[in-house]
This record gives sequence, structure tokens and C-alpha cells, in this order.
Amino acid sequence: MKSLETMRRYVREPQLLINGYRALGKKIIGYRCLYVPEEIIHAAGMVPYPLFGGPEPISLADSYLQPYICEFIRNVFDRALEGKLKFLDGLVLCNTCDAVRKMYDHWRTYIKTHLCYIINNPQETYSNHAYSYYYIELQNFRLEMENFSGQKITDENLARSISLYNETRSLLKKAYLLRKQDPAALSGAETLDMVMAAMIMPKEEANTLIRDVLKEAGNRVDRRQNSGPRILITGSIIDQPALIRLVEEMGGMVAADDLCTTSRYFWQEVKGDNPMDALCLYATQRCLCPCMHPAEKRLAHLQELIREFAVEGVIYFNIKYCDPFIFEGVMFKEVLEKTGIPVMVLEAGHDLSGIGQLKTRVQAFIEMLW
Amino acid sequence: MAEEVTSRAATVLQTTVEASRSVRWYYEKVTAAKKNNKPVVWAFGLVPREIWHALDIPVVTLEHFPLLLAAKQLSGKYSQVAEERGFTRDICAYHSCFLGAALSDQLDAYTEKRFPSPDIIVASNFPCNQEVKTPQYLAEHYKCPFFYLDAPINPWGEEIKKHAVEYYETNLERLLVFLEKFGYRPDWAALQESVRLSQHLLRLWNKIVDYRKKAPTPMGAADGYICLYPLFQLPGTGIAVEIYERLLNEVRQRAESGLGVVDEERVRLIWAGLPPAYNLGLLNYPERYGAVVVQSELEWIGGAILDPEALNAKKPLESLARKTLLDFVNPTYSNRINLWKRLTREFKIDGIIAVNKRGCRNLPAGNRLIKDTVYQESRVPMIIFDLDGVDNREYDDAQVKANIDTFVESLLSKKGGRKQ
Repeated sequence: MKSLETMRRYVREPQLLINGYRALGKKIIGYRCLYVPEEIIHAAGMVPYPLFGGPEPISLADSYLQPYICEFIRNVFDRALEGKLKFLDGLVLCNTCDAVRKMYDHWRTYIKTHLCYIINNPQETYSNHAYSYYYIELQNFRLEMENFSGQKITDENLARSISLYNETRSLLKKAYLLRKQDPAALSGAETLDMVMAAMIMPKEEANTLIRDVLKEAGNRVDRRQNSGPRILITGSIIDQPALIRLVEEMGGMVAADDLCTTSRYFWQEVKGDNPMDALCLYATQRCLCPCMHPAEKRLAHLQELIREFAVEGVIYFNIKYCDPFIFEGVMFKEVLEKTGIPVMVLEAGHDLSGIGQLKTRVQAFIEMLW
Repeated sequence: MAEEVTSRAATVLQTTVEASRSVRWYYEKVTAAKKNNKPVVWAFGLVPREIWHALDIPVVTLEHFPLLLAAKQLSGKYSQVAEERGFTRDICAYHSCFLGAALSDQLDAYTEKRFPSPDIIVASNFPCNQEVKTPQYLAEHYKCPFFYLDAPINPWGEEIKKHAVEYYETNLERLLVFLEKFGYRPDWAALQESVRLSQHLLRLWNKIVDYRKKAPTPMGAADGYICLYPLFQLPGTGIAVEIYERLLNEVRQRAESGLGVVDEERVRLIWAGLPPAYNLGLLNYPERYGAVVVQSELEWIGGAILDPEALNAKKPLESLARKTLLDFVNPTYSNRINLWKRLTREFKIDGIIAVNKRGCRNLPAGNRLIKDTVYQESRVPMIIFDLDGVDNREYDDAQVKANIDTFVESLLSKKGGRKQ
């Protein structure tokens, strides 16, 4: 699929996009995690750019952050220390996990981009007073982005950005739903590439390519005929397709996933007439991260995915030292297994250095599901 | 770990014994309350203690109970139980130890006596993510009512924003409404009195700290660790104030008489991170060199960095919100860095011993940051090594002591010769 190939290329060579942004004179704002409202950055004429890890092992960061802290964040920070993120004009973080919050102080001290900002979002969702509190935080963030970009964020601009980003979300969800079919027109690894590309690309271009993916997928002749047990992968961030590909190579069909680089990014849309109200509601009524409360909402979402996508087994993936998922994995495994859904908890480093060992376990899990 | 390498803290103050007794007094009170069918709370995270005491709610806290078990060399045993239930060894040992004790079918007599089952679970995400995850699991396990107390982080340092204080204050109000369902009616007069006592306690603490800055210090970290209990677990009670009044008198007398922890105080150290609760004698170990650990960072936990005058008994919940959100263990480090600059300067510190606790994602992650900041400002060096203050299974006495030996010897040589 040509469209998918283009998107995959952007994920492998993001410098192509970065050069493009630079040529347009755009400021690039790195961010983590999904509770950073990209639309506000975009409406200020800047580029929101999600930070992912790299394939290289961690070196410099280990002397700044103790080796018992999330490998993903250490990897991102390592890239910054190595000068690989010099293209960033600033960094915006939010109040999610401990590792992200630690990166705030370290970035300010050791990386020193022109901007390092943390949005102090509530971790309690679905509550009116959390909404009121977050609204002030969001207003402060909007002002900060205006000051940094030198561009006023009008409500009209913000509404346009929301509409553009919603379109991306909606298209990604359509493509994601293709995996309800058996055999599916898109694999799990392909979906990951598509979403990651859409996250870093200009949304106009991403939307065109996703539309093409949808068209091409309908006529696809190379879809797998023997798709194997339907598996859902959830857990810590996955920013390289190796694990998903491994499951698919072992005969499993990754029918659904619940990851920061896939469905968590696009599952819900920002809704409402007033753009600030809509963004505020979006953040405070979305409980897709285990750092957020209540956990029951996340569990209900997973159970819905399991039902909708006829999932037969769940792989719960933990990156080493990623506490929110480590704890949640134990909890959800117990609950899901009581409902008859087998769950396998896998733990590995961000670089998937123990993938050989994972292979044996994944194989055994898939065989059990057959 | 061989048992003989551990030792109790060698303390010098009489009042430390009283502080230690207050621990027993409190746990007996909790156990008695349970027997009288009073709902017991298990609390996780820095939920303001003043609320429990004002409403006379018996509480077992995550931040203290595992330390008791560690002191009895039981922490590793219970962490093992949690690991057998699927939790990895990489989680914080406070949590694995607590989980293990909570899930164990076979409690030892010591634990059994002090660990009543929960009727209510309250958890706050302050200061870390794990504070919420363990109680969520246990609430499900015990089928207990669960309250989540959301706390914003404080990236602003000492000038915390009004909307953040108000948000947390509202959440404290909601906690009171929740607790009322179990018969704990909000008593505003008692809350005000609790904040007044807490303020008084902080004033006493500050006076004690001032005396401890003197050389030789009249009170070291070994006494400080044990005397932390009233400040951290019993603020808002009369008993804490009484103990600290006596502590102040004793410390004042020692300071005025020039009595130190060792005969000749040659090097002044501070301990960053959690000292090993199963081997508190390690805080005395550098004394063989004439080096005194004058304080541990842990003694400032629970809002002790707050200016007591910022508390206003007429506004109890707002005061408690400020006290909590300004705590140095906040997930962002502004106030922790400021604390370290201040401690190093005011205590005339020669060196900092910092430990990385394996499962902790909060304090150890800031050690390098503090090392660089402090060194830049005052040229005070810091040694950092791995040491889990709760889990005794991986403790390597020889390695830990070799680290301390090397560090102290280098400080002595810098100061002009080592003690023979």
C-alpha cells in the first residue's frame, strides 16, 4: 500500500518532516503525553511534536536519572542529552506519570530549550471541580503559547485546529475499525506506523494519506487469510513495531490495541461549540491513562474493546519501571481472567532487548488460545 | 543479608525514647479502636494527618507501617509475598511490603498485633503514582469503600498558585463529606484546633532545627529519624507538642553545654533519601571518623519546610492544602532544591550521602540534580549509591560501608588529615 509506505517512511525518517517544518519557519514544540492539548500549540502557529524513544541503548541519561526509572523517558531524555532533539524550540509536559514529571526539572536544568512548561492537569477525571480547576490551567497554557509564539490564539483559530485534529482522529478510528474484519485489511504493526506518522505529520497531509489508506485497504489483495487468535495489546507506550510484529509472526492477529501510540490518541473527539470548554471537557472526561482516576473507566474501555473486536486474549505489556502499568497489569489481569479472557503480562526494556525470551512466551500464549 | 550486620540507632537524647513510645501508643490506639468497631482507615500518600487526629479516626499509613516491619527485619519477607502475587520486585518496597502484609495468610505475631484490616481506604496521588495504585488494588481485594484525593503538583516552588490550593482544598472538603458516611462527622472546631497544634509543633520544630545547626550538633540524624514520628504522623495532637517541647528543652540544654554527638565533631554530613529502617545504626557509622550525620532529608517530610506562620487555624483546610502542596517531596523539585541549598548553607555541611532506593521514582531521580546544584553553589560534594531503606534483602553491608568510608576519608583529607 503506497499511502502506508509513505507514512512508514516518515516514522523511520522524521527528519524529512522536521526539515519541512523548519523551511516554513515553524517553531516545533516537543510534548509528552496525551493530555497536552495539541490544538492550542497548533492554533498558535507552532507544531506540536510528540516525543518518542529511539532504538539506541541509553547512555548519558543513566548518570542523570537513576536506572530504576522508566526506560522510555530515560531514552527520550538520553536523546535530548545526545543533541538529537536540538530541532525542538520548546517542551511541554503534563501531569501524568512520575517519570514525565521528573523530566520537567531535568530538562529545565540540563537541556535548556527556550521553553519548558508543564501543564498541571488534574488526575481525577469526570468531576466538575476538576473541570473548573483545569480550565484555569488551560487558560494559562494558552497565554504561555501566545507569548512564546508571538501570535494571538483567537477562538476561531482554535476551533479550526480542533476541527482539523478531530478529522485526523475520526479517520484514524475508521482505519482502526478495519481490524474488526477477519481477515483484517490492516495489521497491528501497520496500524502503529500509520498512527505514529499521523501524530508527527502536518495534519492536512496526514488526513489525505489516511483517506488513501482507507481506499487502498478496501482493495487489498495481500491480507492474511489465516489470521489466528484475536489479541488485544495494551500497556506501556510502544513506539516501535517489533513486539506487535512478533505476535503477528507467531500466528496471532492483533485485532485491537490500547496504546499511547494507537487508539488512546484518537479514540475520542473534542466536542463542543466553545473551543476552550471543549478542550477542557476532552481532558477531564477521558480516562485512558492509568495515571488517571478512576481506573474503572479504563477497565470498562478495555472490556468494550474486547467485546467489539471479539478479542480472545490480552497481552499486557510493561516497560521496565513503568509503575502505573505495572500495578494496573496485576489488577486488570485478575479482573479480566475472571471474565474468561486470558491475559499474559510481558515486561521488557524499551529497546526490547529480551525479545528472544518474549518470543517463547508469546508463542506459548498463542498456542494456548488456538 | 546476615542479621548481625544490622544495628539499632545509637541515640543520645532522652526524649527520643518518648518519641519512640508514641509509636507504640498510636498503634495500640488504632488496634483498640478496631476492637471497638470503629472504622479503620488505611491511608496512602500525604493525606494531611491533622484531619485524622481532629476527627479521631484510627489510621494505618503506608508511609509508616512498612518502616516498622523493616525495623523488625520483616519487610523482605512481606515484599516476597507481594512478588508471589504478581507484583515485580521493581516496585517501591514500601508498597510491596504493605501489599505483602495485607495479602498474607500468615502474619507473624508482631505484624498481626499492629495491622487491623481496613474499613475504608483513602489514597492521594501526592507524592507519587504508586500511592494510588496499591490502594486501588487493596480496595478491590478487601471490597472496601475507596476515596481518591487528587493533588496538583507544584512546579511553582514557594509561590504556589491560588487555583491549585483551592482545588486541593475542595478535594479535602470532599474527603470530609466521604468520611461522614462512616460516622466521622466534620468537626470544624476540632479541625481548627488540630491546625493550631500543628502550627505550634512546626514552631517548636524550627527552634529545634536552629539549635541543631550549632557545632557540635546537639542532635544527630539517628535521634532525628526516631523523633520524626510526632512531626510526620502526629501533627495536630497534643502529645506531639508535648514531646517536642521536651525535645526542644533537651536540645537547648545540650547545645548550651556544648554537648555533641561525638567528642570531636570533624565532619558534618546530611543524609539524602531514606536511611535503612532495618539498620538505623548505619546513621552512626561515620561517627568512628568524627563525622556526624547531623540530619536526614526525611526529617523535613510532611510539610516541615513550611513557614508555620503561613498556617491559619481559622482556615484549616486551606492551611493544610498549603502545607501539603509545599512539601519538598512534591513530584517536581523546586522546593527540594531550595531545601538542599538552605540545609547545606545553614548546617555548614561538608558532604552529602545520598541513596537511591530501588523502587522509588521520586527522590532518587533528583539526586544528581541536587548534587550538581549544591556543588555549583557551595562546592559541597555528594556521594550517591544504591540502598533500599525498606527492603532488607539486597542490603550489602560491606559495600555500603566501603562507600561511606571512601567518602568520609576524602572529606577528612580535604579538611586536613584523618583521625587516627
